[in-house]
Order: sequence, then C-alpha cells, then structure tokens
Amino acid sequence: MYEQIAFYLFSVLTIGLFLVTVLSKNLLYAMTSLAAGMVLVSGFFFLLGADFLGVVQLIVYVGAVMALYAFAMMFFDATKDTKENNTNGSWIFLLGGLTALLLVMMFAAPIFSESVVASYPSVEGATNPQNVGMVLFTKYLIPFEVAAVMLLVAMIAGIILAGKKMDHSLTTNEDNIEVKTLSKEEEL
Amino acid sequence: MEAAVLPEVTSAGVIIKAIIILAVIAAIAGFGTFIERKVLAFMQRRLGPMHVGPYGILQLVADGIKLFTKEDIVPQHSNKIIFKIAPVITAATAFIALASVPVFPDFTIPQWVPLLGGVFVPSIAADINIGILFVLGMMAAGLYGPLLAGMAQANKWGIIGSARTAIQFLSYEVVTGLSILAPIMLVGSLSLVDFNTYQTGGLTSWILWQQPVAFVLFLIAGFAETNRTPFDLLEHEAEIISGYATEYSGLRWGLFFIGEYANMVTVSILAAVVFMGGYNDLGFLPGWLMIILKIAFVFFFMLWVRASWPHIRPDQLMWLCWKVLMPIAVINVVITGLFMMV
Amino acid sequence: MSLEEFKNRNVGQQTYKMVQSDPTPKTGKEQFEQVVRRAFKGELFVGLYVTLREMINALFRGEMHTIKYPFEKLPISPRYRAIHDMLRLLESGHYRCIGCGLCEKICISNCIKMDTRYDENQRKEVSEYTINFGRCIFCGYCAEVCPELAIVHGARYETASEQRASFSLFEDMLTPIDALKLQQEYDGFGAISPNADQNIKKTPLAY
Repeated sequence: MYEQIAFYLFSVLTIGLFLVTVLSKNLLYAMTSLAAGMVLVSGFFFLLGADFLGVVQLIVYVGAVMALYAFAMMFFDATKDTKENNTNGSWIFLLGGLTALLLVMMFAAPIFSESVVASYPSVEGATNPQNVGMVLFTKYLIPFEVAAVMLLVAMIAGIILAGKKMDHSLTTNEDNIEVKTLSKEEEL
Repeated sequence: MEAAVLPEVTSAGVIIKAIIILAVIAAIAGFGTFIERKVLAFMQRRLGPMHVGPYGILQLVADGIKLFTKEDIVPQHSNKIIFKIAPVITAATAFIALASVPVFPDFTIPQWVPLLGGVFVPSIAADINIGILFVLGMMAAGLYGPLLAGMAQANKWGIIGSARTAIQFLSYEVVTGLSILAPIMLVGSLSLVDFNTYQTGGLTSWILWQQPVAFVLFLIAGFAETNRTPFDLLEHEAEIISGYATEYSGLRWGLFFIGEYANMVTVSILAAVVFMGGYNDLGFLPGWLMIILKIAFVFFFMLWVRASWPHIRPDQLMWLCWKVLMPIAVINVVITGLFMMV
Repeated sequence: MSLEEFKNRNVGQQTYKMVQSDPTPKTGKEQFEQVVRRAFKGELFVGLYVTLREMINALFRGEMHTIKYPFEKLPISPRYRAIHDMLRLLESGHYRCIGCGLCEKICISNCIKMDTRYDENQRKEVSEYTINFGRCIFCGYCAEVCPELAIVHGARYETASEQRASFSLFEDMLTPIDALKLQQEYDGFGAISPNADQNIKKTPLAY
C-alpha cells in the first residue's frame, strides 16, 4: 500500500513540477522545478527496486546536467520573466499532435503489457549494480563502447572549441598572455 | 555481522531512527559550531566563548535564540519563493544523505516502554545496497541550495557565489567519485556495511593502508564539497562578502549553517567507514566508541586545517581539481585495477 | 658621508633580507617539478604542526593569552594619564591639596576651576574644585606642577558614563576616607624619582 501511495504522490508531483517547467515564464522557476522533477523521477526507480539507476539518475541528471543548465543561466537575469514570442503555429500543432499520440499509446500500453517479456531477466542473487553491469557488458557492449567514444569525442571537441582562443585576452585585447598566466601559476 | 540474527526492521523502527538522526545530527551540527569556535580559539591562544554556561557550552543555545528571533529579511527584488526554498534544500539534502549511512549502533527499545516496546531500531535508516553512491548523489543534489540561493537574491555577490558553487561542486564531485571508486573496486560492493565487514581484521585491514592516495584525494574533495576552508570560495568573506548567503539572515541563514555542519558530519562518517575501519572493534575498544573517535578526529582535522591553511584562489582551485587531482585519481583507479587483475 | 650615499634615499633597503624564492619556471617540465617539489616538501604539515603546538601550549602550558576584560585587567603603566585622583595625607586623612592654585594656573585647556577660603583655623580650604573633562586633554601638567602630589593621574581609564560630570567633582576624585589604607603612592608623571635620595646634594645656599 505504501508503494501505491508513494507512486501516486510521485506521479502527481512529477507531472506538476514538469508542467511548471514548461509553463513558467521565469527561468529560475523552470530550472528549479525541472531539477526537483528529476529528483522525483529517481523516486520511481527506488520504488521499482532499481536503486542503482535511481542514484545514477540523481547524480547524472540532478547533480551534473541540471547544474550545467544552471551554470548557463548565470548569464541571464534570473529574477526577470522572459518574453516568449511564438510565430510558427504549425510547430505547435505538430508537437501537440505528437504528444496526444504518445499519450494514447501510453494509456493503451496495459492492454499489450501481458505479452511483454523481459528478454534479459535479472539474475537472482546479484545486486543491482551487478545486474546493470552484466547487461551492459554482454548484450549492450557495443552501444556502450560507442557511447563512451562519443562522449570522449564530445569532450575533446569541447576542449578544442574552448581552448582555441585561450591565449587571447578579451579584456586587454592582447595576444600571448601566456607569460602572465605563467607568472600566476608560478605562485602555486 | 550476521544479518540473520538481527530482528526484522519495521517501519516504526525506521521512523524512530529518522527522528533520532534528525534530532541528534541537528544538535551535533549546532554543537559543531561551538567546537569549531573553541578549537580555532585554542589554536590562536584564545579562550573562545566562555560566558554562557560553564566554559561557554550554552553558547549554542544563545546563538539559536538569536537566530530564531532575528528579523527574517527577504530582499525586495529577489525571487521570493526560490529564495525561501533554497536554505531548506541545503539542510534537507544534508540530512537525507545521512539516511543510508550507519550513524549509531542498532538497539531494541526495551519492552517496558509504552507503545514502542520491542521495536528494533536499525543502525542505518535506509539499508539500500548502494549506500555510498546514494550519499554522493545526495551531496551532488546539495549544490542546489547555494546555487539557487545565489541566483534568487538579485545580488551580484550572490551570483558570483552561486557560479563558484556550480564550478566547485561539479568539479570536485568528479574527484570524490573517482577517489572512492578504487576502494569500491577492492570491496566489490557499494554497500557501506560491506565496507565495514571488509575491514574487520583490525588496524592493518583498514583500506587506508591499501589506498592512501584515494584517502587523501577523498579528504581534499570532501573539503571542497563541504565548503571548508582551503576551498570555501563560495562564501569567501574577503572577496565576495558572503557569497550565496549575502542576503540571508536569521533562521534561513541558520539552515545553511546546519546543512554545512551536517555535511561535515557525513563526510567524516564516510571517511571513517570507507577508509578507517568503520565500526569494527579495535582491541579492547568497542566499535561504537571507535566510530565516534574516528568521526571526531576527521571533524577535528577539518577545524585544524581551517586554523592552519589559507584560502586558495578560484583559478588555483580549478587547476588543482582538473590538472592534479583528477589525473591522480584516474591513475590510482587504473593501478588498482591492474593489481586486482594480476 | 659622501654625496653619493647622502643622495641615496632608499633608506633601509640596504639591510633588507631578501627571501630566496625559487626561480620562475619557464617550461612545463620545470613547472611540474616545482609543483611536485613543493607538494612533497611538507610545508603544509609544518603549518598544521604550528597550530597544534600553539593549541597544546595554550591549553596545557598556560600560554593562553585571553584577558577576560571586564573581570580581569592588564596592569597599566604608572605613567598612564587617566582620570585624576585627589590623594589624602596618610597620617591625618586630610586631603593633601593646599589650595595653592598652581594646577588651575598651568592648565592649558582651562578646565580646572578651584575656589578657596579660610576656614575657622585660618587654614586654606578648598571650597570648590572641578575639572571639566570635556575640555581636559590629560596632558599631565597639573600632576607635574602640584607641589604636594595632591592631584595625580589615576588608573581609571573606563570613562564611559552618562555624563562626564560624574567624574569631575572634588569628592569623586578624592580617595574615600575608608579606603585610605589602599591609597597608592603615585609614581608617575611629576612624582619623585625612585633614586631621589641619591640625587640630593647640598643646595648652594648652605655654605
């Protein structure tokens, strides 16, 4: 019974918070509610007994991704409301239709759910992270490695993009500020 | 520890445990401020607070009364809702992180107690088998307190403070995770109880001796994540007034304070359980005393460092994290893996 | 002194001790070496040792430097010039002031006001004596000039009060008669020096 109460509580709160994210005109409200929604999503994982995934959801989405959003938000005035101007009505129509379709599919899911079988049932006696590891390193090894390589590529690209003009000072308009940074680091 | 012998954990026991953690850790966090003031004073050859109660012990009460009765100021142009939520996030995440950490030994309430007689109170409120990750995750979520506080208050010091929060916490989470990964590989589990059982063989079985590098890295990153002195750039008074807490007063500021000290307790517990033998008996010393001694030592070490070492600059902070600590942590993990395979 | 030296205005630089810092690293390798050298030199632990040593000294060897001020006070120099005291004669208990008016005369901020009259024994008696502490600059001339060491500077430096007049009457400054035994002889400004006896010589008039 506890689990049902928790599930409905989490559902209502998650949907409410994500609605705030979409509908709010204030950047800070949107970001806060999105982060809070992410925390609550991890609650579903805990309810399903997937502790590991729940914590990963916490660390990755709440701790890292959302914090990066927040970092980008530093450049805006967070206390002001944003003005949205939407001119393209067809996009709204398309997205609304797709959402409706998705909702219908979700509500229809219980009808077909009996035929859904886990192709890789969890191993008895293994802990949560072990189960995840077994699946990741057998069935999904190649996608896993590809994702790892992709992240590496993204990281290197980011460093190159950011590091291109590192020797150029934006404030003094001087090239070659290497000497200055050297003398700074010498004090370390 | 044989899990089979232990009685069943009921929800009543968990709730009692939660209340105990909340009450005791909040009190310890408050008391920590007193200890900090005393230790810093002694190291500067001062006496510290002396007038309220014997040796100033009741200074905590005086401070509490002051915080409770202070005027609660919300700045005019701030984002008021977020401004009010932010301190609660800090305090809440600090206490939630303690849910999966063994804090006190388990016990059974004696039968003569009305209503609750015979209820078994576990040592861990939520015994999930990934305790250590949960603590790290909650501490990662804890960055929203300072972050939102700084951004909601329409104050430039606050904005700088929250920007520093974001970079510092994000960067040092990497070091924390990587440094603790090596002990996790050794033990082969994410459960803090397994860490404890791994180190039952006395002083020599402490992971500290096998993973000294990881221990040092974890301590450094722990200082950064709890916003302690060599790295307390979020509210560095000399540079940015009080950083994210500039506009806060009274009880809301007190919540930040309690959250910070609860986080210090959490990091102390993690260091004690993961690296320093946990709550195992050592010779004639019982386990509960050992864990308290170790936690107290790590806590004292944090204050000691605050009395001894200066702040570092933000660029030095980032340099230290990404160019020094993270490579060392990665190398440590790789070497540990090699040794385990051979 | 040659002109060259005379014109060198960088006074003190000659005796400065220059701290020998490491040479600035040029290449990445040198930088790395410097970091490693400094990291393993243990300077950080020296810092930890110093604070711990001070803590142990303060706690167990009595080197605590706190003075709990309102309850404890540091001894002050006898030459300190605080609120004035009026002293009494130890034998009779009568106040020392003979009403000569020198202090009133010498006071450079004109803050001492005194009035005298003859009492029934035809002795001079101080009928009124006040010091305006709003004007007093605590220069100490009155104590220096007083032939009887009657007006001296006391040690009362906590002069916060609702009004300054609370310090300034003759009765306020006079040693209470029941505290006569506690009266300290003044050895500050204008008092006889400790080796006064050795300095006594025959006056020129004696021969």
